[in-house]
Amino acid sequence: MPLQMSPSVDGNTARLSLAGELDGASAHLVRDAVDGLLSGRPERLMLLVEKLTFMASAGLRILIFAKQKQPSLKIYVIRPQDTVIDTLKKTGFYQGVYVLDSEAELQA
Amino acid sequence: MSIEPLMEKQIFPGTVDALEPIRKYVAAAAQSAGLDRKAIYRLCLAVDEIATNIVLHGYQEAGLEGDLKIGTSLEGGSLVVLLEDHGRPYDPNFHSVPEAEDLDLPLESKQIGGLGIYLALDGVDDLQYLATDGANVHRFVVRLPHSPESKT
Repeated sequence: MPLQMSPSVDGNTARLSLAGELDGASAHLVRDAVDGLLSGRPERLMLLVEKLTFMASAGLRILIFAKQKQPSLKIYVIRPQDTVIDTLKKTGFYQGVYVLDSEAELQA
Repeated sequence: MSIEPLMEKQIFPGTVDALEPIRKYVAAAAQSAGLDRKAIYRLCLAVDEIATNIVLHGYQEAGLEGDLKIGTSLEGGSLVVLLEDHGRPYDPNFHSVPEAEDLDLPLESKQIGGLGIYLALDGVDDLQYLATDGANVHRFVVRLPHSPESKT
């Protein structure tokens, strides 16, 4: 399924909803979207990925890009599928982001 | 050892637009071979990472154009995927991949290179590379669930 994105900003929180497959063909679109969201220097970047069914290493490189662009940024990965979690864990990226089942966990 | 073709070979253009149909092809083969969902995903990811490297580094950066030919077979209790290209040769087994200590680095300090090959090597039981007569062949091997020493 082609990647679908929906970026938004709400105060100091930037959100990017991703659905479908993030691979070498679509990664530049996501990077550009993240770059745009970070232009406002939000405190948090929420990646809503419940419907992200595939993530190649290109997705990991976008996380590096975001943190190198803004080291203070907190990245939240909301409700990733188990296969995406596996990728985050085996590459050591799991420790660098906050994985939550929902945004509500952040408020709790 | 008997070799039983699983799905008809297919040829895709050596561009990023081929990545999704390649994954679909591999997923269909893996499913018919009886792999479980996570094993299918790992195999698709492995092939996708190598195919991406071929497209970007083997063809585009080298100023070349070409195809990706892919075939699948069952061999000695394993599913085998063969991915052939005619781009610039590049053996994934000789690329540096993240070491254990690299995995613990903070995000902003992580190396960008090597992640794809790391995931490719991790996703299959064996990944072989052969360059001959202008053709490069990547051979992905995944032991089937009922085989001994299966990854799943």
